[in-house]
Amino acid sequence: MEKIEINQKVLSKNDMDAAELRSRFKKNGTFTVNIMSSPGSGKTSLLEKILGALSSKYNVAVIEGDLQTENDKERIEKVGVKVVQIQTGGACHLEAAEIERKLPLVDGDNLDLLIIENVGNLVCPSEYDLGQDANIILLSVTEGDDKPLKYPTMFFAGDIFIINKIDLAPYVDFDIEKAISNAKKIKSTLEDFTISCKTGDGLQQVIDWFERGILAKKQCS
Amino acid sequence: MHETGIAQSILEIALKTAAENGAKKINNIAVRIGKMSAIDEASLRFAFDALKAGTIAENSEFEYMEVPLTGRCEECGTESELDGYFVLCPKCNSGRIKILSGNELEIAYIDVD
Repeated sequence: MEKIEINQKVLSKNDMDAAELRSRFKKNGTFTVNIMSSPGSGKTSLLEKILGALSSKYNVAVIEGDLQTENDKERIEKVGVKVVQIQTGGACHLEAAEIERKLPLVDGDNLDLLIIENVGNLVCPSEYDLGQDANIILLSVTEGDDKPLKYPTMFFAGDIFIINKIDLAPYVDFDIEKAISNAKKIKSTLEDFTISCKTGDGLQQVIDWFERGILAKKQCS
Repeated sequence: MHETGIAQSILEIALKTAAENGAKKINNIAVRIGKMSAIDEASLRFAFDALKAGTIAENSEFEYMEVPLTGRCEECGTESELDGYFVLCPKCNSGRIKILSGNELEIAYIDVD
């Protein structure tokens, strides 16, 4: 019997793929954002609302992840943005190798902005690095203000915390301040936004955040 | 249920290491899993047991070492094991905590013949 020390990170294959993607995005000056949330929080609606403003000025593409259907791809196509759909079958998250495979389909080496809409799930996607510059965690007011405390791993992985459907806040027991303070208990550096894709409230601030990211990425590529 | 892919990665690293060292049989595989890493131990074990069949790790034990969540307060410098997921300093109640451990997802070692 012999003991062999390994001491290696387990997700190493995905981590290596992600590191390759990250250096590729850096070389190309592509600001890359991974959006994660529960199903139905409004990830695709958010994209529909902000892509118009961004795609008129920048070369933008979207990678959509879902278990089944091309519904989200079709919605993004309607706003005139390059989009490719990954159907994971049963898998609850996207992996870096799948992103790499799909990049050629969206002119992936000539982009200013790549948005990855991950599979709707507040657990698994947080474990998989996709080479992104920032993780956006989206939460809608109908989900409850305790979600950051219930799904801390996801909020810990986040850089940006966006609360959507704030037009519905008066009708549900959702305390926006409490949700933000709960999220910041998990990660104090989270930057927060409150929006309504329905009324357009707060969307300009999110668009401005994307633009700052695109310009910063260009400067360091 | 993302544990299957993780169990597969653990098994692949173990089998590769065993092959590189000329081992015939893997007796034990030890992993270090941080409390914050969103891994369900029972699901990981279940997936691992299903995947190891037919490999040289078929009869191996799976040693699951949980790493506690610890952090250092950036206000008062206290290092502590953090209770649950409320990342607040137990001494001064600050939210500015730098996480020191609890996110691990590592294969530590294997025992082989």
